[in-house]
Amino acid sequence: MDVNQLKDISDRSYRIAVNKKNALEKARSSMLLAYSGHLFQANAETINLVQVLKNKLKKFVVLDSNQNPMMVEDPDDLLERLITKQQEALNIYHQSYADSTSKG
Amino acid sequence: MTGVLLYCFNTESYRYDKIAAKTIPLLRQHLGLEITVVTNNETRVHLPEQEGVNYMVIENQTGNYINQKSWHNLDRHRAYELSPYEKTILLDIDYFCYSDYLLTLANTDQDFMVHDKVHDVTGNDSYKFARNSMIPMVWATVIVFKKTPRAMAIFDMVKYIKERYSYFCDLYRIDFQNFRNDYAFAIALHQLGGFKGYETIPNRLPTLPAAARVTEVSATHVSWNHQGRHGKIANNDLHVIDKGVQNV
Repeated sequence: MDVNQLKDISDRSYRIAVNKKNALEKARSSMLLAYSGHLFQANAETINLVQVLKNKLKKFVVLDSNQNPMMVEDPDDLLERLITKQQEALNIYHQSYADSTSKG
Repeated sequence: MTGVLLYCFNTESYRYDKIAAKTIPLLRQHLGLEITVVTNNETRVHLPEQEGVNYMVIENQTGNYINQKSWHNLDRHRAYELSPYEKTILLDIDYFCYSDYLLTLANTDQDFMVHDKVHDVTGNDSYKFARNSMIPMVWATVIVFKKTPRAMAIFDMVKYIKERYSYFCDLYRIDFQNFRNDYAFAIALHQLGGFKGYETIPNRLPTLPAAARVTEVSATHVSWNHQGRHGKIANNDLHVIDKGVQNV
């Protein structure tokens, strides 16, 4: 393999890495959920926390993205919104990732 | 009512009205909010009448410079009094809006929010200011605020700091001696927060650094060249530093 081919591989890897980083950052922004005046990151940690607390309690308190407490009056509604938000964001990320790796 | 507030002042070097011509339609499309543009008489003649866009003419303060060029950024603290909205999304004119992300930020009870983290979309992590001051910088590019006494105090504090900026630069050992709203807001939040921190926008501000040359702006994406490499970002909000975007 000559050096130009090696450079092409390097450039392709660079493009994929930058595109992945930008798509992931976009996904994180898209996962931001405004709920009852608070901001939450609809990530795995938040979803799991709400699911676990919902299994034990009818109402409970969680911390928002700025560590402010919020009483969750309707856990089912919050969980539904978190999952919808997260999956919307990750589906777009999944598509971007597939496009990026296939095209370079 | 929630609305968008922009500042647009042309300088000898840059036609910010040309940047506004690109960013305002994107804001209207993705946010669907009323927009108020704070401008001066010289710039106003270049700004067209548009549905959902109001213009507010002021006499802007001059005298600040960046890279030996005029920088008309001295009136940002007046946003609180100038904004006609109960909740305001205050943006730099070079913020390219490609999503409804800002609506999420506006849909909270918090009365003042800024980014304290930035994401360099070229992948170079070029924004590292930790050694340029004793205080973490915030990014005044996007400020979401409500009309509350606390938000008013923050803007008043920025005015106070602006009038004594060299003193505060010395106090916080800030390397940038020309007035920067980013540091003025950081200082105001630090002081009014009792030196114990403040609430921020949890995500990072997507930014295209000045060294990247914008090659294309479309309804869906921005493309650029940076250090011999081509880059593109689509359907994602972007703060574009390169003022050459006015001619793209």
